[in-house]
Amino acid sequence: MSRRLPFSEGAAVLILAVVLAPALWLLQMSFRHNADIMSTRLTAPLTLENYTALWTGQFPGSFVNSLLASSMSTAFSLVLGVPAAYALARWRFRGERHIALWILASRMAPPIAFTIPFFLAFSWAGLMDTVTGLAIIYVTFNLALVIWSMRGFFAAVPRSLEEAAWIDGCGVWSAFVRIVLPLAAPGLAATGILCFILSWNDFFYALILTRTQAMTAPVAIVNFMQYAGWEWGKIAAAGVLVMLPVLAFTFFVRGYLVSGLMAGGVKE
Amino acid sequence: MVMSTRRIRRRQVLASAAGGAGLLMLPGKAPAQGGAKKLAGVTLNVSCWSSSYPQFLADYIPEFEKATGAKVNYETPSFPIYNQRMDLELSTKSDAHDVINVTFIYIGRWIGAGWVVPLTDYINDPRKTPADWDVGDFLPGSTAAFKDRQGRLCAIPWIADVQMAGASRYDLIQQAGMKLPDTFDEMATMLKAVNRKDGIPGFAAENHYGWTFIPFLQGFGGNVFRNAPTDLTPVLDSPEAVAAADFFSNMLREYGPDGVLSYTYDQVVEGLKQGRINYSTNNETFLVQMAGAGSKVAKTCALSLMPGGPKGRFPNVAGHGWGIPVGSRNKDAAWEFITWATSKQLFQRMFRDHGYSSVTRRSLIDEPEFRQKLQINGIDVAQLYLDTLTLGAKGYTIYRTVPPYPPIDHEIDVAIQRIISKQQSAKESMARLQRNALTQLKRAGVKL
Amino acid sequence: MGLLPALLVLGLVTLGPALYLVVTSLTPLTPVNPATAFDFSDPLGNYKAILATGEFWRSVWVQVELSVVTVVTQVAAGLGLALLLDRPSRFLEVLRTGFLVPMVLPPIVVAIIWKVLYTPDISPLHHLLAWLGMPIHSLITNPATAIWAIAAADTWEWFPFTMLMLLAALQMVPQEPLEAARIDGANAVQLFWHVRLPYIRPTLVVTVLFRLIDSIKAFPLIYVLTDGGPGGATQVTNYYAFEQTFNFSYWGYGSAVATLMVAGVFVLSVAVTRLGGGGETVDE
Repeated sequence: MSRRLPFSEGAAVLILAVVLAPALWLLQMSFRHNADIMSTRLTAPLTLENYTALWTGQFPGSFVNSLLASSMSTAFSLVLGVPAAYALARWRFRGERHIALWILASRMAPPIAFTIPFFLAFSWAGLMDTVTGLAIIYVTFNLALVIWSMRGFFAAVPRSLEEAAWIDGCGVWSAFVRIVLPLAAPGLAATGILCFILSWNDFFYALILTRTQAMTAPVAIVNFMQYAGWEWGKIAAAGVLVMLPVLAFTFFVRGYLVSGLMAGGVKE
Repeated sequence: MVMSTRRIRRRQVLASAAGGAGLLMLPGKAPAQGGAKKLAGVTLNVSCWSSSYPQFLADYIPEFEKATGAKVNYETPSFPIYNQRMDLELSTKSDAHDVINVTFIYIGRWIGAGWVVPLTDYINDPRKTPADWDVGDFLPGSTAAFKDRQGRLCAIPWIADVQMAGASRYDLIQQAGMKLPDTFDEMATMLKAVNRKDGIPGFAAENHYGWTFIPFLQGFGGNVFRNAPTDLTPVLDSPEAVAAADFFSNMLREYGPDGVLSYTYDQVVEGLKQGRINYSTNNETFLVQMAGAGSKVAKTCALSLMPGGPKGRFPNVAGHGWGIPVGSRNKDAAWEFITWATSKQLFQRMFRDHGYSSVTRRSLIDEPEFRQKLQINGIDVAQLYLDTLTLGAKGYTIYRTVPPYPPIDHEIDVAIQRIISKQQSAKESMARLQRNALTQLKRAGVKL
Repeated sequence: MGLLPALLVLGLVTLGPALYLVVTSLTPLTPVNPATAFDFSDPLGNYKAILATGEFWRSVWVQVELSVVTVVTQVAAGLGLALLLDRPSRFLEVLRTGFLVPMVLPPIVVAIIWKVLYTPDISPLHHLLAWLGMPIHSLITNPATAIWAIAAADTWEWFPFTMLMLLAALQMVPQEPLEAARIDGANAVQLFWHVRLPYIRPTLVVTVLFRLIDSIKAFPLIYVLTDGGPGGATQVTNYYAFEQTFNFSYWGYGSAVATLMVAGVFVLSVAVTRLGGGGETVDE
């Protein structure tokens, strides 16, 4: 076994402090008066005025929109993707490699490639500036993620358990729901959370496809930056609020992040 | 925002309009009968870029809401963002907004393509427009730009945006034994003398160079097109244009603050008010804020006409106006808002409360109070405003309303950026600008 | 059977738009003139115009610069950190979660953080350097440094990804070859080069590939920090397409640029995978 080296732990702590410093700076900035922000003194008085100022105006509404769009998209993707992942995990069939390639290819396309057709389609279908519309376009990246991520988790469940259930007269999908799903529940939760995070963080699609009704939190901040001029305190507070849910959720799925990130790039 | 827009039936509006119309036009007065408010249940989405008038207007909107019962969602994004989003939105004839700003450089495009509603019927209908609103009170120069090919007015101007020049620290200029410059040469001399005095950079102009550069371009004898609107051949690589670009870029590079390339209009105005920038060729509506609330330089500021070059003085004069998108579902309510927002009473109050002076109504400009209040440190700014309007009436700003101008406006921004940041010389950059302008015109389907 | 609904939806949201994108790229579509939607008179017109436009090629070059610098830096930083953290230590495991922060933050928040750091008036970085006697000018308005400023922000944002991937791979390197090499007297560098590297190579390829693909999508940083400027110094192809489509409403032209981008990325991915060891990828 390797020897424990306090040096590496000390170095890691130092590096972590430097890495986190910019984010922490934003955090402390959100608690200062605008006039003090230009002086960058760490001893300036603290205040909650930036957060209370955000409460009125468009910001709370945009937060709700982000929540709705992310949840809806996660739900769509899970409902569609979980059975598909199970089918892929349990049955071999011919088109598999092509599907893998197709999913990888969809990950390659820059968002603008999807935005142009979706913009035109949504205008025609009346889905512009709606939360539903956003949820639909988020499926472009969430569904693939769900399929690949859950496929791995299902593959890890021993077939013997389902086979025993089938012998007992249980239907395939019934066995799936009663036996496999509960066992894969942690993976399901992690995947769902990952979908939520990816949808929450989206900026480009929301920028182009929303106006006033369905504006999400990231777009609201940028709007804010552009007309609240140089009120850095409020901008920092908005940024902190937008990153909190993500940080909280990440804490829960930290173990699964690697497999989630690699989804779509692996093949058997 | 997730909200429901309840539509109000046309008949209801007309019925109550007969009763309540006159009262609503006076901001601050509640309807006579305590009964149903005229626009109850209507949500209006209003958007405009963040110039001074739209920002001041936010203060008065609650009164409008109270008097009419309408709910107003009001947003004021920055100039480029507003234009980009509105252009995209209008092209889909969406119903997302009810009252929008028709930006000067997009007039040819938005009005020309029929994306905003012609307002003649509204104006001529006494049930919809109160008698004292008086469309004839608007400066003919400002309404002319907003007429479509059939001569119908499609937007109501809220500003005559004129370019002038101003200094936040005129005391430093006087100490150097100079006055505010009248010509470009004088400007160069003055800036050389006062730059960095008291640690303050001498000059700044907002980075919308497609606006701030043009007076210099035309002052040197250059132009954007050979003969707009008939001959749209760009002439941006002429020797005069190159000389103008070189001069303008040098001024900004040598005498501008660090990072001047990223200075948007609100940054420049903030810098002027805080005394962190001295001289600026800028919009009157921004320059007068140096003498207003929140300014540290009220006692030391001064304004003058935009300086001119060897071929004359060409301060830009533009207009922006309120219009109604064709897709709006609340057109009548939108018109209510517009008549209220451009009423004589509202402009008067805005002038008194905020010093807003780039007004478009003749009656206001003629009022003695207007001239008197616009005396800033002994300078008759009202006269400067009128003189600039007179100059602008000569029509050299026609290049701005040509439909394919917006992308060329952007190309000019980038071309000057290249020169200031020394990526290219003036000659190289203007040559590239000329090529890009030709490409844009070709892509827009213009035959040269 | 359970696969069918998912495949249908996936097809609808990916293949449908892809087809539409290519079809649109064959027209001079611009919303100002609705007739252009079906104008196939010059199908390759957009492509010819793109290839003849200096701005497009400049944007490709800027993209290449940005991608190369960011991928190399991110992989190097990630590898370095992964090697540091590749020890059985509870403490380091806990610390690892902290390193995830830049990657999971919403990209727009990352953009705001760096906007603050790059705005001289309020930046602790600028103030610190000035206090130390080494004041610097604004980095994002200087065309020579703007792209590197973006690269720095991008690296900060994404190094946790490379770190995680490489750490996972390092932790799967079997102990016996390592022990054997140590007994033979190999030093740390040789241990890495001859033992660890061959094992992590497939992961390295996948990591480089993923970061390369993602680097082409860079948007929020450029949007907030430089808007493609100054003078086009940070205008990558993605941003160029965005401007042409959504600022000037040249939908047909923008679609053609987007199509070229997708094709380009595809070719690049195949090339990287081939170069990196012929299509081997890591098992989950």
